[in-house]
Amino acid sequence: MTVVELPLTVFVVDDEPPARNRIKELLSDCSEQLPLEIVGEAGNGREALAKLSEVHADVVLMDIRMPQMDGIELAQHLNKLPKPPVVIFTTAYDSYAIKAFELHAIDYLLKPIRLGRLFDALSHARTAVPLRTEELQELTPEPRKNLSIHERGKIHLIPIQDVLYLRAELKYVTVRTAQHEYLIEEPLTALEKEFALRFIRIHRNCLVAKDEIEGFEKVADDEEGESHWTVKLKGLDEMLPISRRQQFIVKEFS
Amino acid sequence: MPKVQSINQNLQPDTLPNFRNMGVTLRTVLLVNGMALLMTLAEASSWTDIAQRMTDISALLQPVLLSNLLLLFVLNPLLTRLPYWQGAAVVLLLTGGVTLAIYHMGGELYAPIAEYGNFHATRNALLGSAIAALLLAYFRLRASALSPALQQSRLQALHARIRPHFLFNSINAVLGIVRADPKRAETALEDMSDLFRMAMAHSGDLVPVRHEVALARQYLALEQLRLGERLQVHWHMEDLPEDALLPPLMLQPLLENAVYHGIEPLTDGGLIDIRLYRSGKEMHLEVYNPCQEQGSHHAGNKIALTNIRERLALQFDIEARYTVESGKDFYRVHIMLPYLKEEN
Repeated sequence: MTVVELPLTVFVVDDEPPARNRIKELLSDCSEQLPLEIVGEAGNGREALAKLSEVHADVVLMDIRMPQMDGIELAQHLNKLPKPPVVIFTTAYDSYAIKAFELHAIDYLLKPIRLGRLFDALSHARTAVPLRTEELQELTPEPRKNLSIHERGKIHLIPIQDVLYLRAELKYVTVRTAQHEYLIEEPLTALEKEFALRFIRIHRNCLVAKDEIEGFEKVADDEEGESHWTVKLKGLDEMLPISRRQQFIVKEFS
Repeated sequence: MPKVQSINQNLQPDTLPNFRNMGVTLRTVLLVNGMALLMTLAEASSWTDIAQRMTDISALLQPVLLSNLLLLFVLNPLLTRLPYWQGAAVVLLLTGGVTLAIYHMGGELYAPIAEYGNFHATRNALLGSAIAALLLAYFRLRASALSPALQQSRLQALHARIRPHFLFNSINAVLGIVRADPKRAETALEDMSDLFRMAMAHSGDLVPVRHEVALARQYLALEQLRLGERLQVHWHMEDLPEDALLPPLMLQPLLENAVYHGIEPLTDGGLIDIRLYRSGKEMHLEVYNPCQEQGSHHAGNKIALTNIRERLALQFDIEARYTVESGKDFYRVHIMLPYLKEEN
């Protein structure tokens, strides 16, 4: 019995319609020798996330520079899918990204894309493994604009400016916004490094948004007179404890 | 590598120094006084004698030096128009002449002893010219020593005017329509070729404003190809005199910035508002674009603006102004320069 190989499913993300058009034309040129199927296209990151939650793609061809969410962030969110696609980045010119790709030996396609290069990249894609989220983050100095979780078959974005605090709890990190709580599976130290501009560590297990600090309060631990500082964030009633080591924050932010 | 014509036409080694430049003035003052000090040192018999002799020399030297600097400052625009050797000759004659004139005006102060006679006056004039010649030679050497850096900055400037991002994306966009709409692809390639021809041309001379506008429109047509409806443009040119002149490639880089920083990062795009008008003796260029939150961009974008700023400074000095107003969600560049007319 022979195994019929299913065609490679490909999705295209680029904010410029002629650029998408060009890739689709090249893909159809490739399809003569490499069975493939274009399963969709999107003009920006959000659209891509919505569509790729509905339809599976083996490979996503993705522009790096896009409005609202760049390709590198999009790839990180796509990793939350149960079967993340292999991402092939495309760029016309972005010296920083290209340097980063070379450094990490990650394949990318330069626009205008050549048929031969695209064909090679696609041929390797079937056996390739998606890049890990941490690897992707190393490619750019820019933090993501959103955190993401996979929930009820969809990728849900949590804009980082809505996040009030991040607290590590066992295997997960609780992401707290004014309205909701989410659980994500990313190490707190990596989050601290990536979002150093927005968050500050108040405790071994907790980062709070600097701009959301409303005030500090000293709370008595017991009757012996032992006490510790807590921080109150805007829009939250909860008081978060500040560890002894991080007490300098009280001075710095009040 | 193709030979690139100079853009910073004022910075070639074979030009006189810019006598309106603070640095040139300062160097001249220091070097001339340094030479005077060396001379007194050579002649002096004691430490106190040095001070005495320096004071004596200064009585003639400082007035001559300052008057010369003032004259050169005033005459600078005329001098820069002359070929180098003629300009240099004028500077030398001027220095000698000023020395003579001041020497004679000073009367008793400079010629207390009659027997020195004409020799003294002529000697001073010759010394003045000789020192001026030495200084010119110094400035020329200095300029040629700096020229590798200048070469580099010229390349950088060229780079700034043809942003690779734009070049490759545009080629890609043309490839994207070439099968479906060959006619449109042809026009796009023609626009691109005009644009690059202009960017690579020698850009020392002023060009009629309508050329700049035509070029800007071709550029915007190319961007429109990529961005479609995301890019909206409004032109306001009601009060624009037909005969106005502009330095070449002043408008297009501003628009390129507006597209790159303003429109591209916005999912739904936005409107670029362009105003060209004359007000009295001044020409005004204004480019307004929406923009996302500040500082979310990679470095290296300021090159184009720095280039424009430098070219304005070189060409018009303080007569041109360049202001940037940036708010939370908008960015506005305003360039003001002298209104120059085409000669018919």
